Amino acid sequence: MPTTPAVCHSLSRRRLLAAIVPGAFGAAAASWLGRPSMAADGGGIAAGAEALVRNFAAEGLQLLEDRSASPAARAERFRALLQKYFAVDAIARWVLGRYWGQFDAEQRAEYRRLFEDLVVYGYVKRFGEYTGESIRITRTQADGEMQATVFSAIDRPAGAQPVRVDWRVGGREGAYRITDVIVENVSLSQTWRSDFAGTIQQGGGPPALLETLRLRTTQLKADLGVRG
Amino acid sequence: MVRVIAAASLFAAAGCATPPDRADTEAYAEFRAINDPLEPLNRQVFQLNQALDAMFLRPLADFYRILIPPPMREGVHNVLTNLRSPVILANDLLQGEFDRAGTTTGRFVVNSTLGVGGIADWATDFGLPYHNEDFGQTLAVWGSPEGPYLVLPLVGPSNPRDAAGLAVDSALLDPVGVITLMGEAPEWLITASRVRLAMTIVDARSQNAEELDDLQKSSLDFYAALRSLYRQFRNAEIHQGRPPANTEGPSLDDIPPIPVE
Repeated sequence: MPTTPAVCHSLSRRRLLAAIVPGAFGAAAASWLGRPSMAADGGGIAAGAEALVRNFAAEGLQLLEDRSASPAARAERFRALLQKYFAVDAIARWVLGRYWGQFDAEQRAEYRRLFEDLVVYGYVKRFGEYTGESIRITRTQADGEMQATVFSAIDRPAGAQPVRVDWRVGGREGAYRITDVIVENVSLSQTWRSDFAGTIQQGGGPPALLETLRLRTTQLKADLGVRG
Repeated sequence: MVRVIAAASLFAAAGCATPPDRADTEAYAEFRAINDPLEPLNRQVFQLNQALDAMFLRPLADFYRILIPPPMREGVHNVLTNLRSPVILANDLLQGEFDRAGTTTGRFVVNSTLGVGGIADWATDFGLPYHNEDFGQTLAVWGSPEGPYLVLPLVGPSNPRDAAGLAVDSALLDPVGVITLMGEAPEWLITASRVRLAMTIVDARSQNAEELDDLQKSSLDFYAALRSLYRQFRNAEIHQGRPPANTEGPSLDDIPPIPVE
């Protein structure tokens, strides 16, 4: 796609770099996290959300730094992290939007599985790009009783500006989950939603999305040398 | 002339997406939200842009990246950015952002002198970070709606507001553009201006090469993913990086409370 002035000034390198879907977790998970930010005083949800993000980042860092594990082993560890920290069901369902109703039970189950595979293998494929970035939580804000946003910055090697990552967290005490990751103001869920809706419309229905997801995840697994 | 208009409207008609029945409220709401009534035509232009990119621009950008060492490319990028200062300043002022106008002026002075014609970006080190402004953003601040999504030939993702902004920036707010428009530009300036445009395009493409590749690989429908990204980027830029809290997104409001044991 030619990127001439109008576009290039909008899509500057830092923002694009940050916005690319599978890049985000890789870099974001990569991290050492400092003390809790002082702003996390919005009561239960804010403190809980911040702890959740900090724990995810810490576990993610361990995974990223363990370069000896096989791609298959890394993928399974990442899948476990994803299920532990993210509201995968809610995200998968929201991403489908109004098309959820057009999927029957069997299609929903397959979609849910393929969506998770797309995330897992897409990110694991990019783990190699991790070059020691660190993440700082800058502040946390409660957006009501069941929603909070944790703001963070990923510091990049000398010279490059830090990348801003916001984590949307929802749920109740003891069951908080990340519901969206917003990298330099670009929401992953929102982007997936448009992407998937486009695929469904172009292909004419749920089978088109499932087929595209099957092809894509198979390809990702083949690239990683993961069988199954 | 009439034939041209007739042909153009036929072309436009061929490129129109059929709106869903208003009775189907969900589908109609989605159609409105996507705001891409020219989608079939846009997709064709997108394909054309991709083909042109693969044939000309991408190879050129790759050559540039292979042949020119990173510090030199950085210098070129800084010079091009510095040359954009008058446009950014004009838009800062038009939006009433006087602090940012000060930053832009300070950057221009520091980088044009200490930075030797803008090659080195000392201003950022002095606490004057870069920000972008353009007339598309100014129009948005003034309350103009964005209009339907457009993919412009050669330019890429846009909308009527940003397209008008691009025209105003290059012809009316850029000093070289103004001089050219008045017919006062000497030959060398016109040549320099063309070189600048070419370098801007190559610079932008080479900077974004890997990221665009990644997006293309990670998305299922590159067109739709880019459309969404473009809108989210522009929305953030218009709000100076702090868009109003977006409550759109997955939520856990409907999960049942954890049973008390």
